[in-house]
Amino acid sequence: MMLARVAENLYWMARNLERAENTARLINSTTHVLLDLPHGATFGWANLAEIAGLDDLFAKTYPEANEESIMRFLIEDEANPSSIFACVKYARENTRTLREVLPAEMWERINSLYLYVRQNAPAACRNRRERYMVLNEVIQQRHAIVGLFSGSMPHDDAYQLIKLGRNIERADMTTRILDLHSAISFPEDSVVREALVERIWMSTLESLSAYQTYRRLVAMHVRSNDAIRFLLQDMRFPRSVSHCLNEMETCFRLMPKSQQLQQLTALLRLKIAQHPTADLDAVALHEYIDLLQLQLGEIHDALLQNYFHAWRDGIPPSVQTQGDFEFAQQ
Amino acid sequence: MELARDEYATHTAHDELLDRALQPRAAAQPLFDYLNSLNDGELAKRQQAVDATIMAMGITFTVYSEAGNIDRVWPFDPIPRVMGRKEWESIQAGLKQRLRALNLFINDLYNEQRIIKDGVFPAEVLEGSGNFRPQCVGITPRFGVWAHICGTDLVRDKDGTVYVLEDNLRVPSGVSYMLENRQVMKRIFPEVFRTTNILPVDDYPMQLYQMLASLSPREGEQPVIVVLTPGIYNSAYFEHSYLAQQMGAYLVEGSDMVVGADDIVYMKTITGLQRVDVIYRRIDDAFLDPEVFNPDSVLGTPGLMRAWRKGNVGIANAPGAGVADDKVVYAFVPEIIRYYLNEEPILANVPSYLCMIEEQRDYVLANLDKLVVKPANESGGYGMLIGPRATPEERDKFAKLIRNDPRNYMAQPTLEISTAPTLVDGILAPRHLDLRPFVLQSDQLYATTGGLTRVAMRKGSLVVNSSQGGGSKDTWIVEDAA
Repeated sequence: MMLARVAENLYWMARNLERAENTARLINSTTHVLLDLPHGATFGWANLAEIAGLDDLFAKTYPEANEESIMRFLIEDEANPSSIFACVKYARENTRTLREVLPAEMWERINSLYLYVRQNAPAACRNRRERYMVLNEVIQQRHAIVGLFSGSMPHDDAYQLIKLGRNIERADMTTRILDLHSAISFPEDSVVREALVERIWMSTLESLSAYQTYRRLVAMHVRSNDAIRFLLQDMRFPRSVSHCLNEMETCFRLMPKSQQLQQLTALLRLKIAQHPTADLDAVALHEYIDLLQLQLGEIHDALLQNYFHAWRDGIPPSVQTQGDFEFAQQ
Repeated sequence: MELARDEYATHTAHDELLDRALQPRAAAQPLFDYLNSLNDGELAKRQQAVDATIMAMGITFTVYSEAGNIDRVWPFDPIPRVMGRKEWESIQAGLKQRLRALNLFINDLYNEQRIIKDGVFPAEVLEGSGNFRPQCVGITPRFGVWAHICGTDLVRDKDGTVYVLEDNLRVPSGVSYMLENRQVMKRIFPEVFRTTNILPVDDYPMQLYQMLASLSPREGEQPVIVVLTPGIYNSAYFEHSYLAQQMGAYLVEGSDMVVGADDIVYMKTITGLQRVDVIYRRIDDAFLDPEVFNPDSVLGTPGLMRAWRKGNVGIANAPGAGVADDKVVYAFVPEIIRYYLNEEPILANVPSYLCMIEEQRDYVLANLDKLVVKPANESGGYGMLIGPRATPEERDKFAKLIRNDPRNYMAQPTLEISTAPTLVDGILAPRHLDLRPFVLQSDQLYATTGGLTRVAMRKGSLVVNSSQGGGSKDTWIVEDAA
């Protein structure tokens, strides 16, 4: 038995922690691939804000997209709700309301992560070397938190909600990173172009910790079609969209009154499995990704309705108005 | 380890750990042996470890200010306050006696009012009480108990006498800090727990749970217990969540619950509505139920009083219990104990002057420079006048306040409250402190082993409230040497 408000906070805590880690990974692998770019080639830093769907927000505060401004925006800017600092801060705020349902050490871990990011975010924005170290530490601390979840939390509804939040956020991020490719315009020269495309795909896989797995499971050379299929359809890879959906299905099966959510999730996974990935050009890929994000959004909305607002179905008629009033206030 | 000998040289208060010759008292001897065994600088190192631990454990409280709400780390002093078991047990008996009498008193006020009819307690005091709830008249909660949880503030005067300073019967806080302080000490000074026989404090959450469970209207079934908090911005939110966690209870906000037309309290869960049996509420009466009290409250749940009056839910502390948490009522507690229990009070009350009584008021007005003046219904040290330290303007202001509303003020002589050595800039200096034990009552009585020691960290300061720069210490009740 779990309070609807608590369930909602658990879900958002998990999403925020996952988002913080994903952003840290994305930054580290991008920085890494930059070092390998051919001379004369430039990188559009604005792409990183675009991936997160935050280009408008970024443009509002920062006159120019360069390495420094993008890093400040993605790492320490509190006005950006998806910055690492903001995510960790929200996760900590969520956790404050959840201490009674989480393992006792959880608050200490998340609080430590928060204190670490607060103290080290400025250094991480300053130069690449410190950035790598700080973000790596963020990733490691996050791993310790996930370990604590799976190792010391009863696998109850609270646990399933955390897992749901983590996987839906992860699936969402994978689609966003894929979408990056449709947003890059490559040079005309076909030799340079091919090399660059492969480099960027490598960086993409790297940012998802997928490069090694890809080479082992798919091929030595990274080609767009293979990479797209791998990141969307390969059930073995834990950050592929299909894998995340499968995890979510499992969670829903273990949750109460989840029939509709199970179906919704299974259906999307099936659609992805049947959607051909060969010969997707940039425009088609972008449209396809848009569609996937919409459908992930639908699952998210259905989950909200089903669990966080479920109590409204049981309200006796005499207090119905009160319930609606409260909802309107939230 | 070094003592602030200058400060101690001019010291006149009782020190909890050191006698007049600055030798450790018997109960504190093992502690001092241990402290003396530490190398130079070791204590400072441990102090840093304490700060880091508290930061990581996230033991915080919130201070409201114009700059927004700041989450402050709970200031903690690593030198514990030590008391022998024998002395403590006598205090414990006094605390239980007091709460037993106060509950009889509250139940009487809301029912027959025998104590007024018998001329022991003046009707005017009740009429002027800001915390008497007419909505509670005629109700007798289970066991006749209204104040299930009491935080009693104790201080020790120069001559060693322990006095009750006030009885907090509304929503007393601080017990989580008592529990966490012990955890911090165990992490930082594990060695000393081997050499000293320190009585454990950690049975409180279990006792609290049992007390709350005994209030459940559905006997024989596993009760659903919730802790009702005003939310994350309340200064005691840390404690609300801590206690819920320790008890395995649900931490709810007012909007997480609804009361049906069936006068039953439900909470909103992921699978629908679920019945609630017992509410440990940490919000004031006034905000509890907008149907009955403050209609603008968004913190409470409409209908709670309906459900409680019908006996469909247990509420601790019961609405209206605060009637006995009033500094004017306080003055009558020794009489209340004699009246209901036919016993002599075990714990002393500070002599009190009631401004509602003319000759006592005249005395107060003539001696404002010597007295502490307190408003009847405030808590947290707000709205007080400490006469000897006040400016003539402040005293004039209070004289006016007293004349305008005499029922609302009482005065007491300034006690020279005791001190204990406290780590200040690397040396041990005397700092004033008090003690807040927590007492529980349902069908049984329980008092914590020790309590929360609060210490005024600033030199000479008497204000120990965390909202005003106070800190805290672990409190050790130790076996007396044979």
